[in-house]
Amino acid sequence: MDSQDRGNIQPESKVDGNRSSRIRKITKNFFLHIHSTRIHPDNLKPTYTFGLGIILGFLFLILILTGVVLMMYYTPSVERAYQSVKDIVFIVPGGRLIRNIHRWASHGMVFVLFLHLARVFYTGAYLKSSKLNWIIGVSMLVVTLFLSFSGYLLPWDQLAYWAVTIGSNIAASARELTDLIGITSGFDVGGFMKRILIGSETVGQPALSRFFTLHVIFLPLTLLILTGVHFWRIRKDGGLSRPGYQESNRDDQPGSEGRIYTWPAVLWAELAILLSVSAILLVIAFVVDAPLLERANPAFAENPAKSPWYFLGIQELVSYSAFSGGVIIPLLFLIFLISIPFIDREKQYTGVWFSGSQGLRITFYSLAVSLIVTLALLFVIVQFGWLRDWFPGMSQAVVMVINPATLSMLFYILWSGWVRRRTGSTRMASIALFTASLAGLVLFTAMGIWFRGPNWEFFWSRSDWPVI
Amino acid sequence: MKETRRSFIRKGAAIFALAAGALAVFTLLRQLVPRMIGQKKRVKVGKSNTFPVDTFTYIDEHKIYIYRDHEGVKAVSAICTHLGCILEIDEDGFLCPCHGSSYNRSGEVLSGPAPRALSWYQVSKAPDGQLVIDMTRQVKPDAKFLTT
Repeated sequence: MDSQDRGNIQPESKVDGNRSSRIRKITKNFFLHIHSTRIHPDNLKPTYTFGLGIILGFLFLILILTGVVLMMYYTPSVERAYQSVKDIVFIVPGGRLIRNIHRWASHGMVFVLFLHLARVFYTGAYLKSSKLNWIIGVSMLVVTLFLSFSGYLLPWDQLAYWAVTIGSNIAASARELTDLIGITSGFDVGGFMKRILIGSETVGQPALSRFFTLHVIFLPLTLLILTGVHFWRIRKDGGLSRPGYQESNRDDQPGSEGRIYTWPAVLWAELAILLSVSAILLVIAFVVDAPLLERANPAFAENPAKSPWYFLGIQELVSYSAFSGGVIIPLLFLIFLISIPFIDREKQYTGVWFSGSQGLRITFYSLAVSLIVTLALLFVIVQFGWLRDWFPGMSQAVVMVINPATLSMLFYILWSGWVRRRTGSTRMASIALFTASLAGLVLFTAMGIWFRGPNWEFFWSRSDWPVI
Repeated sequence: MKETRRSFIRKGAAIFALAAGALAVFTLLRQLVPRMIGQKKRVKVGKSNTFPVDTFTYIDEHKIYIYRDHEGVKAVSAICTHLGCILEIDEDGFLCPCHGSSYNRSGEVLSGPAPRALSWYQVSKAPDGQLVIDMTRQVKPDAKFLTT
């Protein structure tokens, strides 16, 4: 890159010479046209966005490319699916690598998605932009999780089968509630949800066909469209968020010299990110193989039957109660996420990490408080058991309403309400609730990943697992 | 406002479009919920003397446990009422490998997240001497099909 290409540091005359050509580079190219021609230099600060959104975009692209390759050999039938995945791993040249990249890119996408969510939340980026883009982002989170979940069944191995059996029964867990009221025979919401999801009472060919269609057509297309709208909204909202909301008009004026040309500054940064993401993925895919267990056997469950790591938090919650842990709490969390931009409109906090020192303090307190409370509840249930162990024959209604999951959620809400009273700020209350529930989610997930063994019992390490 | 021909046709067209759209969406979504779910509800499991005495025997084809003692035969579902994993059996009762629900040997919930007790199914005998398990009919845990 010669010095002429660099930003706008040259004397005026030279800039004028380049100006129209740089703008043209962006506007005349269909693919680059997704960018504005010039952006605010703050948006390129690595410590502001960490490039998380664009990493997600690239991961999605990589997933589409590798997914198309995998689809050439994969057969979505109960009899042949497992064998075709084995063929991909052992016979197709480079197939194992492609499958590994696909698997680890999907895990990476879920991980980075949560980081991106946290980034956008803690920098208050939803405050300046329209509410719509935050909601679209949350929808993309849901779609991505469903994409991972549907892709998980396709290899038709033991883990796939039992993870999806558990998932489909979570969809049916409204029966817990309808059973209590005694209306399941006439009004079986749970069974209806389950049948929509897997097309039958147990996971079989209808489920595989459905999940295949969802995974290769419906969900990727949905995510692609949402991605388009997401990017378009960023442009419409005047670029990425940044501090100084009130003064932003000054920068938006035509001819403002504060902005730099997208070509080449932004494109260099994006190229660097794309290369880094590809390099990291390649290394991981070379070193770590995507797991493939025995062929699915509906007669015997894997023990323990663990979902992929990002669902183990929910699996820990459903081990208290299927309906409240698997349906109600995730739903409430989702409702909370969607409602954030509606309850919090304190725009002065836009673009500042943790909204300054007060927010940072509240983040730390929320983190500490949430960890202590959640850990205490986990300690109780691991060490002393829960209601049914103390009062045999305890009613299902009580188990459903009072368990570590609901108690910790109640506590997060109370804590957030207290912060709201103390600070009088909805932004601080949102930070408290967001931090507390995210920390809780991380803790439950860690519990599911590392400390649960056969029969979902507590073990300090995997080496303590009994031999079955 | 006076109804003109133009506004009348406009309203009519809108109503038709809505109705047609709703019907199309309903027809499309209806596909997702199959009417009949092909599952065998009454199954033959073999003659009673093929099962060991005082033992729960797992029939993996139908996901049930058959219990036989000197008096008779009982049949219980091997599917956890929590999230559908297959139960394992030991001296104390049934144990779910997925989320740790445990049941006693009568199928009642002892601990864990299971919402309901296990279902016991009616056992009868077919003319060819094989036991028939009717999964559409539930019985009490102590009801036995007497073979003596």
